[in-house]
Parts: sequence; C-alpha cells; structure tokens
Amino acid sequence: MIGVIAVKDLEQKHFTKAVGNANEINELLRRYGVKFGIYKNGVFNEQFFPFDPIPRVITAEDFASIEKGLVQRVDALNEFLFDIYHDKKIVRDGIIPEDFIYISKGYLAECEGITPKNRIYSHISGIDLVQAKDGVWYILEDNLRIPSGASYPLIARELTRIAAPQAFEENEIVDNRGYAQLLKETMEYANCGGIRAILTPGRYNAAYFEHSYLAEHTGSVLVQNDELFVEDNMLYHRTYSGGKTRIGVLYRRIADEYLDPLTFLPESLIGIPNLMEAYRSGNVGIINAPGNGVADDKGIYYFVPKMIKYYLCEEPILRNAPTYLPFYDEDMKYVMDNLERLVIKDVAEAGGYGVVFGSDLTKEKLEEFRKTIIAEPRRFIAQEVIDFLDLPILDNGETVMRKADLRAFVLSGETTRVWASGLTRFSRNPDSFVVNSSQGGGFKDTWVLK
Amino acid sequence: MSTISKEHSDRLYWLGRYTERFFTTLKALDKMFDRMLGQSHIYTEYLDHFGIVNTYSDSREFIRSFLYDEFNPNSAAYSLERAYDNGIVLREEISTPALSFLQMAKDTLKKAETSPNPRLSLLPLEDIVYGFWGSVNEHIYDDEIRNIIYIGKTIERLDLYIRMKYPFATVEKEFIRLCKNLNRVPKATPYRYNTKYLSQLVEILGSQSEYESNADKAVASLGHLFDTSEVTV
Repeated sequence: MIGVIAVKDLEQKHFTKAVGNANEINELLRRYGVKFGIYKNGVFNEQFFPFDPIPRVITAEDFASIEKGLVQRVDALNEFLFDIYHDKKIVRDGIIPEDFIYISKGYLAECEGITPKNRIYSHISGIDLVQAKDGVWYILEDNLRIPSGASYPLIARELTRIAAPQAFEENEIVDNRGYAQLLKETMEYANCGGIRAILTPGRYNAAYFEHSYLAEHTGSVLVQNDELFVEDNMLYHRTYSGGKTRIGVLYRRIADEYLDPLTFLPESLIGIPNLMEAYRSGNVGIINAPGNGVADDKGIYYFVPKMIKYYLCEEPILRNAPTYLPFYDEDMKYVMDNLERLVIKDVAEAGGYGVVFGSDLTKEKLEEFRKTIIAEPRRFIAQEVIDFLDLPILDNGETVMRKADLRAFVLSGETTRVWASGLTRFSRNPDSFVVNSSQGGGFKDTWVLK
Repeated sequence: MSTISKEHSDRLYWLGRYTERFFTTLKALDKMFDRMLGQSHIYTEYLDHFGIVNTYSDSREFIRSFLYDEFNPNSAAYSLERAYDNGIVLREEISTPALSFLQMAKDTLKKAETSPNPRLSLLPLEDIVYGFWGSVNEHIYDDEIRNIIYIGKTIERLDLYIRMKYPFATVEKEFIRLCKNLNRVPKATPYRYNTKYLSQLVEILGSQSEYESNADKAVASLGHLFDTSEVTV
C-alpha cells in the first residue's frame, strides 16, 4: 500500500534531523528575496516565507505510486475539460449532474468550443495531497487555474545545498532543480509562434516573487498588461523602442475573469482587450487555459474518481478524502447526522478560507450552519477529517510536530510529468490543520529519494 | 536585441540612478563623519550643497536622518529603497543574484543603525554595491539594455558631483564616461539624448572656468537630457 513503506523508512532512517541551520538558510532566503505578499486591513506587506530545514522525505517507491496516480488524475481532468467545453458526454451519460457544471463559478460559457493547442487545458496542475497516519496518501484538492508555490522549494533546495552540502552527500536525493526546464518545455509545447511571456498583475501581488523568479529561470519576459496589445488577432509585446514582438505563449498569473475586459469583467484594469479572440484563433497559447475552474471546483472534486473510470477506463490510483455532497439526499442525511465531526468546505472559497470544522462550532453555531447547508446544498461539500501525519518542524530550536500537506506539481506537455519534489506546507499553530501561507503557515523542501 | 518594455527601460535607468545616489551619498556622509570629528557643525556644508535648510539640532541627528530615515528623500536609506523598488520588478533582466545585493545592502544598513560604531558597520556596503554592479554587468547580455542602467548611473554621479562641487578633473572624467555611454544609444529610443542640452553640457564642462561659474546650469541641462520621467512605484 502506498505510504506504509515511506513511514517505515522515515522511522528507520531518522529523517527528522534538520538539514543545516535554520537561521543560516532563512538568512540566505532573505538575501535572495524569497517573499510573499499579504494584505492585512487593506495594507500590503511583504513577508519572508518561513522555511523549516527538516525536509519531508518520500521514498522512491512511494513517489512512483504517487507519480502514477497524479499523471492519471491530471490526464483525466484534461479529458474532462475538453469534453465539458465540447460535447459534454460525461453529463449526457449521467456521470456528473449538469447542475454541477453550470452552477460552478469556474465554468465559462465564453470558452465553449475552444480547443487549445495540443488539447491541453491544465498545463501546470498543483495537486494537494496529505498522508494519513496509516501511510495512505489522499488527494485534498486539485488546483488547475494558477497554482503557485513551485519556486519556493526550488530556491530552498538551491540554498540548502550551499548551507548544508553534507546532507546531499549522505543522502541520495532526486535533483529537483530541473523545474524551470520542465516549465520551459511545457510552455514551448503550448507556444503558437513567438516568445514566451509571464503575465503578472504586478509587484503587489502575493506571488510576485514567484512570477519574477520563474521568468528569470525560464528565460521568459515578465510582462504586465499595459505592455501588451492585440493586433490582427495576434498578441504583441510593446518594446521600449516603439517596436513589437509577438508572444506565442502567455503564462498568465491573473485570474480568468480579469484576463480580457472585452470578454469577462469589463472593469478589469489588469487584462488585455481582445486576448480571448487571439486565443480562440489559435494565435497564442494561454497557460493554464481559461475556464479550468470548472474542473477544480470543490464540488467537482467528488467526481474525479468517476472521471478517471469514464475517460481512461482505469481504477483511480490515488484516493479522494471521503467526501459527501449535500446535493444528494443520502449524503445530506449523513452530513446532518455527523456534522459535528466533519469538515465543511465552501466550494467558492480558496486559500484556506471557507473551511469549517464541525468540532470547532458551538451548539448554536452548528444549528445555524446546518440551516445554511440545507438552504444552499450545492454551495458546500463535507469531508471526513483525515488524521494526517504530523511532520517534525523546528520551533525555537525544539522539534515539534505539526500538520503538513504536499502540493505536487504536474506538468502537461508532450507527456504528463510530475516534478520530483513539491511544496510541503505546514501549520505553525499546533491546533490547526490549515497550512496556507496566507494563514501564517511555513514551508519545507520535499525530498524524493533515489 | 532582447524585448524590453518602455516601463522596464525606465526602471533600469532609475535603478542606475538610485543605486548611484545611495552609493555617492554614503561616501559623502562617510567623509562628513570624519570631518565632524573635530568640527561637529561642518555638516551644514553638506546641506548647503543641496539647498536644504538646517533643521537639525546637532550632527548626530543630521547623520541619523541622512543615513537611515526612509522618509527623508535625501537620505541613503530612501535612495536604497527606491533602488530596490525598481530592481524588484527587473529580476529577469538583472538576475536574482544582482537583486540579492540590494537586499543585502538593506539588511546591512538596518544593522548599522543600531551599531555602536556605524562607520565600521557601513564599510561592507561599498563591497556590496561593487558586487551589485559586477553582477549586473555579468547578467545583462544585451549591450543596449546594459547601457541604459549605466547611463542612469553616470548621470546621477555627475549630477551629485557637480552639486557637491567636486574638482573639475573628476567631473570631466565622469562627463567623458557619460558621453561614451550616450553615443551607444540608437536613434528613436527613449535614452537618445536631446542635442541642445548635450551641447550646453559640452560647453560648460569643457573648461574649468565655465564649470566653476555655471554649475547650476549644468545640473539643469543634465535634467533635460532625456524626455523621460520616473516610473511611479
């Protein structure tokens, strides 16, 4: 079974040892500007992302299974996206009720009939997993729009190799520094003729460090909307000397609804007018494709194992966390009967927001929440609380155990490949399951053993 | 050449200017530190160069403000923050290692603020700034783009040297350096000089007597050399 061996190995090899001195590595991360932005009370602050020097270790055998499962999952999700924006066979065949497609905020009617180059919609997928105490890995959620975070373990590995070289001599670890090359190849596969560009909303975006770091390492041009324009259905970069350079692939780091004010939100100040026309004409690749939100909706998550069977005729390799949809009468009954021990997620929220643990609610709040679920059954999913594995972290020199998840990055180009690393995020609060950086979490490197 | 937007070219120019303003301010304050050891009110000379009214109660307050006060637009800290603001959006042009020198400079300046011997604590900043320039030189492959940041650097140096009444020989050398940089700029690009103001500079900085009598005019001409303005951060 996936994971059991990893847990056993973890115990045998004592991988709870810190790799290098936390202060030294965090000092290096400071030096290289590894930051993320956060708005608090309307004020933008740049924060250093706290790094923990004890790596999460995944054995080669364990990773091989995870890898297979992730490739399978992302391939099925890409098939689903093509189907949803074309024939919708999965709906017609009754596998997914149409309510779940059209009510989803991520479904964009404007993307109907568009086929991106090579039929790939989710080029970069960030899949969040947790490992339960029994060693089994569960998928927590799929992020198919603009998943962020790959740059942090990438630069952390680079700097840890400087601060603690012995750790890399003593352990046989798969080198993760090829992410930029993987990304570059993925971008090239989606390229419709022209240069590669990364579109950022600007310096005050939470993930600006990542945008600029990935631009630097993939040799792409980092652009903002006012440097771009569409002419004759082609996307161009306006150069400083008054010329123009054609863009063949745009790795956009802004949300769908802001991409093109003539197609989506007219009030968007960060979009590019007519971009969707250029995209629809096949003159520019957009990474990830607009409209992907329909596939990473928390409600659709429930159906991913069914998609795998439907499109690939395979049994899912990785498991979903046990999930209930109050939309179905049977599930609603279960949720009502067990609300106090389930975790409820608002499907419209992300970043750790809209997550409520039944056990945290008072009796009155629980009753109030019960009514909200009955009134809006499509808005929520309920999941069993997985008692996931605590990982050791250093806290003021002491090793303490905290909840952690893993964001794995799957890149779809000529083939679908899983980056042999990932972002391990942990909660710094001993009582919390929420690991998001925006909620004060830190990160670790993820080692995959050879 | 590589594709670069107008905004990035402006930011490169201002990155050059602010990094140089930080560096020259730091060096000028270091000299002032030394001179103040015997005559504590000599710092008013520095204020006079820039037409700033003396509102400081003593040399200690002056130094603190001009070194560390991020809200004083004439301080080293302010220039460094502006350099960083411009640099942070140029990572893919100047590289992460080059940017790291600006972060190191910020950290070093911050530490010096609480040091019992700030002059000693500020010494590494000179190495850091030289490291920054070496890194920029190493990482920007396109000569045309690299030239933009150097034009910013030389303009700023010349501006400050003239305002601080540096000897003619020093100013002349910097002016020759600027002319070499300007000659590398292709026509129809934003950093192509305005001929009228360059001619005025040639006239003023061509002889010691003109320099000594028309320094203000030289500073004004430098300000009009390009029709470009600073990018709002």
